[in-house]
Amino acid sequence: MADGPTTRLTCQDVIGLLVDYLEATLTEETVSAFERHLEICPPCVAYLRTYRKTQELTGAAGRIEMPEELKTRLYELLLKQLDQR
Amino acid sequence: MNPTDADVAERLQDVELIDRLRAGEVAALDSLMARYSSRVYRLARGITRSDADAEEVVQDVFFTLVRKHDTFEGRAAVGSWIYRITTNTALNKRRGKRFEAEIGLEELLPAFKADGHRAGDPSFLLADWSQSPEQDLLSTESRRLLSETIDALPDHYRAVLVLRDVEGLSNEEVAEVLGETIASVKSKLHRARMALRERLTRHFGPNC
Repeated sequence: MADGPTTRLTCQDVIGLLVDYLEATLTEETVSAFERHLEICPPCVAYLRTYRKTQELTGAAGRIEMPEELKTRLYELLLKQLDQR
Repeated sequence: MNPTDADVAERLQDVELIDRLRAGEVAALDSLMARYSSRVYRLARGITRSDADAEEVVQDVFFTLVRKHDTFEGRAAVGSWIYRITTNTALNKRRGKRFEAEIGLEELLPAFKADGHRAGDPSFLLADWSQSPEQDLLSTESRRLLSETIDALPDHYRAVLVLRDVEGLSNEEVAEVLGETIASVKSKLHRARMALRERLTRHFGPNC
């Protein structure tokens, strides 16, 4: 993919650049080409939005806390280990 | 990415806590547990996908911290060191066990025509469920689907996904924890996210 002011990206290019686009690590020219593609490609807009939402849902679903009972049990075991040294 | 002042302060505090733990100070153990136990549990649970295995991993990691903290030489951040031990222990726990077949990632990746444009049913390609109500997106059924798909990812893909999208580590930090290149981390992350997105899109469908 040549990078220039008139670069035209395909859907395949755009989807391949999603991680870098979301992390804002693309060059300004590539961002412009990326966003020009989005202006004319509703499927890529839908892909970008659902990809970003997937990322949010993965984070939300994974945010679990360690059960308090397990913390207490582990702490007691570790205290014994410290004592035995 | 350069560490912030807060990152540097946290690293210094961590090194001090390890030194105090070496001296047998119980309060240092309290602080390390308060700081890391939930992170270790979440990562272990995220990789092993089992409460019982996660419990064993957390125990192993903190035992290592108490008994073998001498192996920590201060070159790496304590956080990275703990994440690395946790990840390796959790991946080892998975090794040698029988699991449901891993998903074929290829069938969950987007298809393209020869000219590079998307291939597939137009209504499916336009499906945008991202604005659906939160109660639908986080319903028991969609959580189950998400969880099942994460379970079925190849182990190293799941580890990257959990470290990056649940724990919020940077690509550089994930690469350091897993001993992989940044390019490999980004590729695994992208493929894992695309597989999850595809499953969710099939679930919510074009009529969302």
